[in-house]
Parts: sequence; structure tokens; C-alpha cells
Amino acid sequence: MTAAMAPRAQSRARPPELNIFLALVLITLVFELLNRWQGGSFLFNTRDNVPGLFNQARLQIIILQVSITGIIAIGVTQVIIIGGIDLSSGSIVGATAMISMSFAQVALVNGNPNPKAIFGPELMDLPVIVPILVGLACGIFAGLINGLLIAYTKIPPFIATLGMMVSARGVAKWWSNGNPISFPTDSFGALSNGDFLGWITFGALPGQGLNPVLLFIALAALFQLALTYTLYGKRCYAIGSNEEAARISGINVARHKVLVYAIAGSLAAFAALVLCSKNLTAQSGMGVMYELDAIAMAVIGGVSLSGGRGSIIGTVIGALIFGVIISGFTSIRLDAYYQEMVKGAIIVGAVVLDQWRQRRRALEG
Amino acid sequence: MKKYLFAAGLVSLMSTTAMAETIGVSMARFDDNFLTVLRNGMVKQAEGMTDVTLQVEDATDDVAKQLDQINNFIASGVDAIVVNPVDTSATQAMSDAAAAANIPLVYVNRQPINVDTLPDNQAFVASNEVDSGTLETLEVCRLLVAEGKTDAHIYVMMGQLSNQAAVQRTADIHDVMASGNCGATLNIIDEQTANWSRDEAQNLMTNWLSTNTPFDAVIANNDEMALGAIQAMKAAGIDMATVIVGGVDATQDALVAMQAGDLDATVFQDAAGQGAGALDAALKLAKGEAVDQKVYIPFLLVTPDNVAEFLARN
Repeated sequence: MTAAMAPRAQSRARPPELNIFLALVLITLVFELLNRWQGGSFLFNTRDNVPGLFNQARLQIIILQVSITGIIAIGVTQVIIIGGIDLSSGSIVGATAMISMSFAQVALVNGNPNPKAIFGPELMDLPVIVPILVGLACGIFAGLINGLLIAYTKIPPFIATLGMMVSARGVAKWWSNGNPISFPTDSFGALSNGDFLGWITFGALPGQGLNPVLLFIALAALFQLALTYTLYGKRCYAIGSNEEAARISGINVARHKVLVYAIAGSLAAFAALVLCSKNLTAQSGMGVMYELDAIAMAVIGGVSLSGGRGSIIGTVIGALIFGVIISGFTSIRLDAYYQEMVKGAIIVGAVVLDQWRQRRRALEG
Repeated sequence: MKKYLFAAGLVSLMSTTAMAETIGVSMARFDDNFLTVLRNGMVKQAEGMTDVTLQVEDATDDVAKQLDQINNFIASGVDAIVVNPVDTSATQAMSDAAAAANIPLVYVNRQPINVDTLPDNQAFVASNEVDSGTLETLEVCRLLVAEGKTDAHIYVMMGQLSNQAAVQRTADIHDVMASGNCGATLNIIDEQTANWSRDEAQNLMTNWLSTNTPFDAVIANNDEMALGAIQAMKAAGIDMATVIVGGVDATQDALVAMQAGDLDATVFQDAAGQGAGALDAALKLAKGEAVDQKVYIPFLLVTPDNVAEFLARN
């Protein structure tokens, strides 16, 4: 493995993640100032009837609202690092949500039969592990198809995953003829809405409803370590930097690609489980546009669309920038019309910066 | 990037003033004619008050995004929240979030699945759905009988299947057929969803027309779909005088189509009134006053005879 194949971050004086983090701090600061100007505060508590220095609700929602797309972005980041793209993750979320939710329903709602029942009573009130396993199986299956198509038919990832995006959305709609699937078991609802943080800390840190955040952070840490310290990670960067060189140096490129797409699929499935558990419903339209948000998070986080460069930490910071922007817009009462315009400008701005960074690096040699 | 943010922030600063009550509003989507009338009804009502500020967000038809928006409102410490639910079966989590923060919540236009178990400081403002589909279908029946078509063949266009109004209005059609109040025998050739959308309805109607099955009427769950059907029929060269088309909502576009003789029946749902009613309920709840948990704004039948009265209302 040559130096060119290792993550470049280590060879630079200032890692790119630091730049992105500074951008995050700056954007947060701008919102704090704008809020102060309006007589409020973005991050700090200004109400007398709530205790604490910080606005707890704001801190939670900033990260909670990007946790689900963030989980998808972890997979998308790895796909982009190997030089691919995944447009199917949002649709995989939709299909997985519908299928796994139908294995998580309760038989009786307030003493009446479940009005949104998909299966008969024998497949209701199942232990929570069943919908989880079904969901992960769906995601891995879809990811495997993506990977096999890309690795062995040599069609561009854009096309292969575009096909999956359309087909998986079709599955999501077909599964229950477009009807939403609601009324999950309590244990399924607790996946997202439970208090895992409180449970592991014996109540010291209450975290009702923060499970999506915990899962996001845990998965991000896991894959950051995998990308940095394992052979799996080294191969990802090698393939993304120069696929031909990777092949010549003995890496089974096709097999590795299938693995990465399958991982991306399973992460989309994780996101789907968290999503429908959090909202206590599954809908065929769930996850629309999530793939683009996930790609945007990765790109803002410094993951290069030309492959070989980027990190999970960068993507997590990219996700946080998204979260700060969404909450910030609401806090300064910016009209919803301007919100999308500015969000779009930020995404494009990030890619322009990325290109500029790349050109500068090329000039420096 | 920073410049953009700054400029955008300035714009918003100039448009906001000192406020006493802040109401957060999450609309299912902005790009929907009817919901826009409702939203503007709310905005206009707020502009007429000196100390009320609205923060209106677009949930872009995404249930998860809507829940996040509600949590953002809670974090910003709004005095009350108005929600136009993306999906009526996903409202439990929203009610829970608002109840936990003890912030009043008002659902508008779409009946939440937990409407009967809402906490005391939550309410629902809309029109009684049973009336709309019934009024529409009975008028189509009356027109069919007047033309002497006692054995009529009809197409039914349904709204989003996940939506209570779509389910109810479609059920109303079947109820009228079964009740014997119709006067004519209605035979449904096909019943399909066009997701409330004009574009999808146009495609659906074109597909139906391509089967060359003769039909007498199209009953759509809303005006947008009725208009889509009309556009498709006109494109196929069908004389609109020979087909009866019914919609619901009485949007401006629909009323214009009615004056042109294309649309035969629609039902006026007072969108602006619902928006204003929801804001009223939210403000009352914010002040700790009691509010009926179900506030109904009445539906009215619109025909070419009385269409002029409604032109200025939506």
C-alpha cells in the first residue's frame, strides 16, 4: 500500500475535517448572533420556566433531525469513497420501512382489531427482533443487487442504483397497495422512542427518544474506525483513488464493491427501522429525497465525488451543518421559501469549495 | 456561503417585528393549491392582528420532517403549533411531542387518527368530510337523472390512499349509491388513485380513455384531479357538455373551469376559513381558554347557478 492510497488527511498539516468543523462553528455562531439580535438565543436557554444553561430541546433536535439521513450518509460515504454513487438509499428506506413494519404490528388497538393490519393475527405481536431482521435482510438484499450489477455487468453505478431507486419505490407502494402501515408493538416503538441512554446510565442521563442519535453516533464511530484502521478501509480508498492500480495490486475489486454496496443497503435499512419506529408508522412515500440529502451531507463533509477521499467524521459534521441550518432557519423565523434556496446554495457552495481544494492540491503537486 | 446566510437572515429580520404570541405552523406541502389558500387564510388573519407572529414551515409531504419541524418549534418556545398533517395516521407522535412540552397543538384540515384521544390543549379544525363526498355525488346523480341517464357508467378518481379525506369521500360515493337517494344507478367502471394531483389525474384519465369504454361521469375526490381529467378529455377531443365531472374544494381554477362549462359540480370547502379557524383555536389555547376539540367549518355545494358567489371567496 503506497502513501497515495492511504487517506490523505494524515499527510496534511490541517485535516480537511477541521475546515468543515470550523464552518459548522461559524454557521452556528451566525445563527446565535441573529437570534441575539432578535432578542432570543439559538443554543442557550432564555426561558425562566426551563432549567439549564443550554436550550436542551434545541440541542436534541439539531442532531435528532439528521440522525436518520445521517445513518444513510454513513453508507453513502463509503460508496462515494470507492468511486461509486448510491441513488437508491431513499427508496430502500421506503421499501424496508413498509416490509419490516408489517412484522411489527399489534393485533389489538384499544381493544379493537388493528385497522391497518397487513397479515393475520398469527404474524402480529411478534418479538421486536423479527422486524429488525426482516428489515436488515431487505436492505442487504437490495444492496447486494446494486453491488452485483455494478461489479459484474460493469454498468455505471448511477444507472444501477437509479434502477433500484425506481424499483424499490415500486415495492414500497405495491406492498400494501399504497396504504400506510401503523400501530406497531410497544417494543418496536421503543427502538427509537425508548430511553436506552437512561437505561445504560441507570437514569443519570435521561435520553427519552434519543436512540436514533445514539445509533447514528455508534454506527459512525464503527465505520470511521473500519475505514481508518482495517484492511476493509484501506481497500476502499485504494479502489476509489485508482481502481486499476488496486486491481493490479491484488485487490478483488468486484467482491469489495459488492460488500460496500451491501453495507450501504443495510445502513439504509437501519435508517428505515429507526424512521418508522420514531414516527410509529410506515408509508410508501417514506425516504423520498433522502438519498440526495445523504449525498449532500457527505459532499459538504468533504467526501470527494471523484472517489478516494473523505471520511465518516467529515460526513457527520456535514450532517450537523444540515441540522444546524434547519433548526437555525426556524429559530430566526426565516420564511420557508428562502430556506430551500439557501440550502441549495450551501450544497453547491460546498462542492465549489471541494473542487477548489482539489485544484489547489493538484497545483501543489 | 456565509454571505448567503447573512443576507437571508437580514431579509427575515426586516420582516419580523416585536411579538407577543408566536405560532408555529407546519403545512403538509406548499405546492398544493388548496393548502395554499388555507395557509394564506391563516397568514392574512395573523397580519390583521398586532401581536401575532407566524412561522410557517413546509413539510414537503414527509412525515418525519414534519415531526422534526414540530420539535424545532418546541425548541424555539412557540406559544402554540398548528399542524396540517402530511399523513393522518402519523399524528400520535406529534401529539405526544407537543403534550410533553405542554404546548397547545391544533390540527387543521386533515383529521388525525387520534382525534378522539387528543389531550385537552389540542384541537382539530376542518370541515365534516362526510358532507363533501355526499353533496358532490348527489349533484352528479341529479344531473344524470336530468339528462335521463338512469343507468350511468362512472369513473372514480381517489386522492392519496393514506389520507382520511380520500377514503371518506370515496366511501360517500358508495354510500350514496347504496342508499337509493341517487335516482340513477351508478356503475363504477374503475376506481383509481391520482394522489390529489392534476398531473397524475391527466395521465390516469388518458389511460382510461385509451380503453374506449363509454362513460357518463367522472367523480373526483378533489378539484385538481377533476381538472386533470378535464384536460385529458379535452385533449382527446371529447365535448365536455356530454360528460359530467364532479370535484371537491371549489378552488379558483375549478370555478373558472365551471364558468367555462367544463366542470359541473364542486363542493366549497372554506379553506381560508379553516386556516383562520385553526389560528383562532391556537391563540385561544395559548391563552389558556377552552376550545371545542372538533371545530367544523361547513361545506357548500357549488353549481354553475351559484358559482359567481364563490369566485371571491377562495
